Amino acid sequence: MTVRLDGNIIVLEGQCRVEDAEPLLGWLQADEGRTVDLTDAEHLHAAVLQVLLALKPPLRGAGKDAFIRDWIAPALTNARPPDMVPQGG
Amino acid sequence: MDDLLQHFIVEARELIQQAADDLMALESDPTSGPHVDSAFRAVHTLKGSVGLFDLAPMGLALHAAEDLLGGLREGRGTVDGDVVDTLLECIGQTERWVSAIEQTGQLPADAAEEGYRLARALRSQFEQRPASTTAEVPEADLPWIEELMASSHGPDVSKAENGALVALRYTPRPDCFFAGDDPIALLRSVPKLLAVRLSNRDPWPPAAKIDPFSCNLRIEALSGAGLDAVKAVFRFVPDQVVLHEVARATAPHSGEASPDEGSAGPSAGAAGGASSRMLRVDAARIDRLADLVGEMVVAKNALAHLAGQAGEGMHRKDVAQCLAASQAVIDRLVAEMHRAVMDVRMMPMRDIFRRFPRAVRDTAGQLGKAIEFSMDGEDVEADKSVVEGLFEPLLHVLRNAVAHGAEPESVRLDAGKPIKTKIMLRARREGDRVAVEVEDDGRGIDPDAIRQVARERGVASGDQLERMSNAEAMELIFAPGFSTASEVTDLSGRGVGMDAVRSAVEKLGGQASVTSRQGQGTTIRFSLPLTIVMTRVMAVRVGRELYGIPLDGVVETAVVPTTRILPVRDAEAFVLRDRTLPLVRLADLLEIPRSEEPGPGMKVVVMSVGDEMVGVAVDQFAERMDVLMRPMTGILAGMPGVVGTTLLGDGRVLMILDVPELIG
Repeated sequence: MTVRLDGNIIVLEGQCRVEDAEPLLGWLQADEGRTVDLTDAEHLHAAVLQVLLALKPPLRGAGKDAFIRDWIAPALTNARPPDMVPQGG
Repeated sequence: MDDLLQHFIVEARELIQQAADDLMALESDPTSGPHVDSAFRAVHTLKGSVGLFDLAPMGLALHAAEDLLGGLREGRGTVDGDVVDTLLECIGQTERWVSAIEQTGQLPADAAEEGYRLARALRSQFEQRPASTTAEVPEADLPWIEELMASSHGPDVSKAENGALVALRYTPRPDCFFAGDDPIALLRSVPKLLAVRLSNRDPWPPAAKIDPFSCNLRIEALSGAGLDAVKAVFRFVPDQVVLHEVARATAPHSGEASPDEGSAGPSAGAAGGASSRMLRVDAARIDRLADLVGEMVVAKNALAHLAGQAGEGMHRKDVAQCLAASQAVIDRLVAEMHRAVMDVRMMPMRDIFRRFPRAVRDTAGQLGKAIEFSMDGEDVEADKSVVEGLFEPLLHVLRNAVAHGAEPESVRLDAGKPIKTKIMLRARREGDRVAVEVEDDGRGIDPDAIRQVARERGVASGDQLERMSNAEAMELIFAPGFSTASEVTDLSGRGVGMDAVRSAVEKLGGQASVTSRQGQGTTIRFSLPLTIVMTRVMAVRVGRELYGIPLDGVVETAVVPTTRILPVRDAEAFVLRDRTLPLVRLADLLEIPRSEEPGPGMKVVVMSVGDEMVGVAVDQFAERMDVLMRPMTGILAGMPGVVGTTLLGDGRVLMILDVPELIG
């Protein structure tokens, strides 16, 4: 399992693949306050990334994988393009 | 093709038609609840059937359409032109897909993309009206590169110290996940990253509506590696990525253009002609046939009984009487069965008429004409081949009415007409024929303009044109060569002119005619046989062969004494009641040896060929009969001088001759 719910934290681990996007989305839709832990993630499939980008959950840890640490995590936190419309759920 | 798929195609066509009908009705009456319901049910059923096959893109688009209709049904959202347009677009695409499936067994290659596009368009109708079309920033717009440069906070911009930078903007296709792409994995393999920006291509829908499997990412990045190295990473998705080489601190120049929007593919080409080989029949008609077969069995048993009695020494006279009675019964039954079978082949005009409102609407939309289209007589029935054969010609005539008949609004207003051009499509029964008319109240046909065009295009000589009445001149629109390729547009036809319309109608055994009053409108009228009619033929013998001659061309038969036949140069003539008629010998026409039969008189069939009477000499007259003539098909289709064939009672084939064509 590369995505699991641990208490109120969604943990992404290892090679997250396209099918992980759906449970991730489900959990975030259910409770937008949930934090996503990227500490042990080795790769995030674009589908997974897109969920994070769209719902902007609080992120935690971005350690192991250099690519995620250097590029993905910062891009996720910086991604506030001006055309982004705040959405009500 | 798989049986199930075939049924699906037939069913899908009906549901598509149903949905389209309802949507068209909704357009004129947006508040009509029953139509929303009916359209919803059609789309819902269709979506369900699609699910049985591997047709994901179609299912996706229909699912979105179903949701949208479902929402409308529950009173969320209102029906307006946009919504109907989008739904009709989805239905139209579905129809094209069904045709593609019928032809190739699968969806076309671009279906996935198209399906997603439709689904997105439908969903955007549903969710956020204003955002339905997010104008794409032209890719050549380059401020993003500057922003990217500014934000390049990466470990080391100096990595690229000695070379150019490459800026890339990668917009994965919405369905890329289904193709197995992982845009982030691609990004990961870009060498010497200097900056990364992630954003969304379209605004995100509300959280509850996000489709995790439709990619909505836009990835922008800066790399210090060379253009070729970056290009190599994206070699499988060249259409989704734009690369710019950015010389340090100088203006970037374009590297690769991005083509886009697999623009509207082949048009409704297949929508018209392709007819399914299945025939749906009213159950009552099948019951009637079954009853008749039952009666036939009874009649057959009576015959068997009679045979038995005859064997037991029944009186000859009684046998003859009973046989005659039995024959009469069977005769009646065969006639009724023939009628019943013909009935099975009867279908209402509705089956093709219902496809026209949409065609007219589309054409009017494309040309910016305001049209009020109405139909009448959808219940009129005719033989399946007649009804189906009418589709193409009628479509063409309707498009003509929109394209050429309807005047611009200002002209109509000046003429005191209502703004919308009225186009009426009417069918009605006229005895044993069916009349179909397309009438418009548009500009009408100017006979002088027709004369001029006809003269220019050499359709008729100046002399002939002068002599023609206006009505005759108008008929010239049906002449071959009258409409030229230069005026063939996408709309008024695929290279067919009115001459093709006329020949299509004539092939069905019908006639086409036109009446028009300048400034008041035009009516194109088709008159067609109701069924494939029984042809009366006269059989004649030449040598040892039997041939049929259609009786409608035969004036009389005569036996001409050989002495009355006069040689005229190298031809022959004979005198019949003080008229001299040319004589041809059928054996010569058919290029078979004349039989040397020195009879006292020559048997001649007098026929009218064009305006003239001609005597056709045959060896023997045989019986007259009603036959179900089959047109020549396949290799024989082009055979000159033969209109068709029919089977004789003894199983032989009788060729039915086209004598005027043989004479040439």
